[in-house]
Amino acid sequence: MTQIKIRKGHSIRIAGIPQKEILTNLSTAEVGLCPIEYRYVKPKLFIKEGDHVDIGTPLFFNKENPEQIWGAPGVGTISKIKYGPRRVIEKIVIKLDKHEKRFSYKAITLNTIAKLKREEIKSIISETNLWHLIRQRPFNHVANPEDEPRDIFISALQTAPLSPNLDLVLKGQKDALQAGINVLAGLTDGDVNIGISANEQIEELTGLVNCNLHQISGPHPAGNVGIQIHHIAPLKPGDIIWTVNIQHVIILGKLFLTGEIDPTIIVSVGGPGAKNPIHVKTRIGAKIDTIVNDQLEDGEYRIISGDVLTGKKVEKDDYLGFYDTIISILPVDLSRPFLGWIQPGSSKKTYSLSRSFLSFGRRLFNFTTKQNGSKRALVPINAWEDVLPMDIMPNPLYRSILADDVEEMTQLGILECDEEDFALCSFVCPSKIDVGATIRKGLDIMRTEG
Amino acid sequence: MKFLRNIYKKAHPHFAEGGKLSRFFPFFEAVDTLTFWTDEQTKSGPHIRDSLDLKRTMIVVLVALIPTTIFGIINTGYQQALAIDNTIVLTMELLLKYFWVGFQSYLPIMVVGYATGFFWELLFPIIRKQEVDEGFFVTGWLIPLILPPTIPLWQVVVATSFGMVIGKMIFGGTGKNIFNPALVTRAFLFFAYPGNISGDEVWVKAADGFSGATPLAVPAAQTGSDAVTLLSGFQQFDYSWLNMFIGWIPGSVGETSALAILIGAVILIYTKIGSWRIITGSIIGLVVTAIITNLFAGHSTNTMLTLPAHYHLVMGGFLFGTVFMATDPVSAAYTNRGRWIYGFMIGFLTVIIRSMNPAYPEGTMLAILLMNAFAPLIDYFVVKGNIKKRMARYAK
Repeated sequence: MTQIKIRKGHSIRIAGIPQKEILTNLSTAEVGLCPIEYRYVKPKLFIKEGDHVDIGTPLFFNKENPEQIWGAPGVGTISKIKYGPRRVIEKIVIKLDKHEKRFSYKAITLNTIAKLKREEIKSIISETNLWHLIRQRPFNHVANPEDEPRDIFISALQTAPLSPNLDLVLKGQKDALQAGINVLAGLTDGDVNIGISANEQIEELTGLVNCNLHQISGPHPAGNVGIQIHHIAPLKPGDIIWTVNIQHVIILGKLFLTGEIDPTIIVSVGGPGAKNPIHVKTRIGAKIDTIVNDQLEDGEYRIISGDVLTGKKVEKDDYLGFYDTIISILPVDLSRPFLGWIQPGSSKKTYSLSRSFLSFGRRLFNFTTKQNGSKRALVPINAWEDVLPMDIMPNPLYRSILADDVEEMTQLGILECDEEDFALCSFVCPSKIDVGATIRKGLDIMRTEG
Repeated sequence: MKFLRNIYKKAHPHFAEGGKLSRFFPFFEAVDTLTFWTDEQTKSGPHIRDSLDLKRTMIVVLVALIPTTIFGIINTGYQQALAIDNTIVLTMELLLKYFWVGFQSYLPIMVVGYATGFFWELLFPIIRKQEVDEGFFVTGWLIPLILPPTIPLWQVVVATSFGMVIGKMIFGGTGKNIFNPALVTRAFLFFAYPGNISGDEVWVKAADGFSGATPLAVPAAQTGSDAVTLLSGFQQFDYSWLNMFIGWIPGSVGETSALAILIGAVILIYTKIGSWRIITGSIIGLVVTAIITNLFAGHSTNTMLTLPAHYHLVMGGFLFGTVFMATDPVSAAYTNRGRWIYGFMIGFLTVIIRSMNPAYPEGTMLAILLMNAFAPLIDYFVVKGNIKKRMARYAK
């Protein structure tokens, strides 16, 4: 077991931390799958409105890579296919059957899974159309089944604000977890690397075999899988690494162990706008309002599928993002304090990593969706560098992307980056620059030109 | 404050698109967001943001400048009184009196400087249809502090205009300039009106004909002697180390008190607004270079070479320049290793110009401007170093 200490970064002290308690709420009558949330995918539908689908039934495939097929997340009838501007498929809604009769595959024992051949594993994942559980680096998009990944990385350390408590999430899942690891180990000649917390012991994560455990300590973004790859075995040009969310490892494991696709996941609901921050056991693609139904007070709120740094703004009738395990709720504050930027500041009203406000104490802060300033040209006061725990120079990289300089971007290591690792840079930037969006722009350029 | 908000609400349609004054919208926006902090909401990227914005960044620098400003104003009045009677002993009462006397010569420079600066700061965004940025808060505050209290006001107008337009606006405003605009202002005066401001004669507001040498000019004027002996033997002003450290000497308004500047440096470093790497780097550069020149002092008749490092530190504009000018994040190097090199070179060049160049007794301004010009080159090599390291790792 290796030890990795991450020093740079910052764990945001946001209020509304979810309690260590799970509410079971599987009452969602509909589930949704949003093709637009998968990067670089041109979807082509297999189904039309009114069709009945089983869990795992192919819904659409990627025109650019027909091997990538998305299966239905539930048993029911396709009630709606919503198109956006330029006929982009925004979401596919499935009205669930009252009694879901799930199709069952062959159940395999834990020890046999470890002996399966790569082709056998691949064919089972392909048959259930679950490849989108696995993503690849560079570019952070859905894995291509044809690739041979150098290694596979799983982060079992949650540092993002308001993340679910892993102790709670993993309780009783040790076999499924081990099965999932065995499946993934069969997909690579390299290692399955798991980043775990150095400070917190989780029973289910001890004694795992067929993988390398790395103890990681430090503030956010230490839990980001991109940061862990960078510190354990960085990407080189030409490398492909696969990454899987810890809860998706369990889904994969259960699929092989029981022969069934179990779409339940545990989501944390929190943030300063949440009335009762808690964990909710729900299912992939659940409708947002079934999760947040009694969380909101009167007033204006922003609901975010994902964490407050990298998540996506959603409405109540949207669906939980496929890779998201957090629902964050933030109040919208439209007040305009008189001479606010000159005021000394207090731990109630201001939160800053620079010490330019008089805010003492380490209390949790009620964040709102306020930007706290207007966008300006870049003034490099070293704020970005202090929260990026990578051997990457964010400022020159940012400039090279703006200059469209593919060669320099490559040399500065853009392929090792993902926008989520730069979210804290945008958070602290005094010029309110969205650094992550620029990193993504650079990756897009690299993908088409590099 | 509702009253004020209502006025803005009424005025808004006139400035908004289609209104009679829509050309002047940047002006309206600037006044509006200065009085009431913006309620802009996050759109993309992180949904929550740090409370620090550029307005706040600038205000912190102003707060750091307050000690040296107050000291400078008092000192201006004090020096004026000393010119008439140099036996005065300072009391609390006199401090207030001198503050008032000094304020009378400081205020016009500041008002004229700010007025000129804001004129350009508003004119360009209005023509370019951009938002007004906050850079001039600091630049405008710095300008009177780096000028002598005796400066004619028309020179302030001409120099500030030059500094703003050539030093900043033609590049696109704050964040895009190559040189520190306040220093460009100072350099313009330095080269355009050398008779008034070359830095060998003191500036004290006093009767005509009053003159004297600045501390740096004292050892520079004499060859084959020892700098410390010359300074301590100087009759007209008290040029002992302690007095220069505290700052009761003639000079530009803000530069004389090393003590007050160091308080500002602590504020800048504590709040993480100023780069401690640049400040430390330049002090190390100055000390190391001064020690080296001292070693060579025996082989030359140049008295400046004998000046010890701790004297270099408190004399002239070095500390002020390094704390408040060199740390300007836009014109400085932007990589961390680059900041060390950039700072070190400023300290090095300051001593070199001071001791090797007979024409100018003071070298800080030129050292910083020169390093402003070289900062991109330093960054270039630092970035190349990072690339090389990565390429070596890839090759493994």
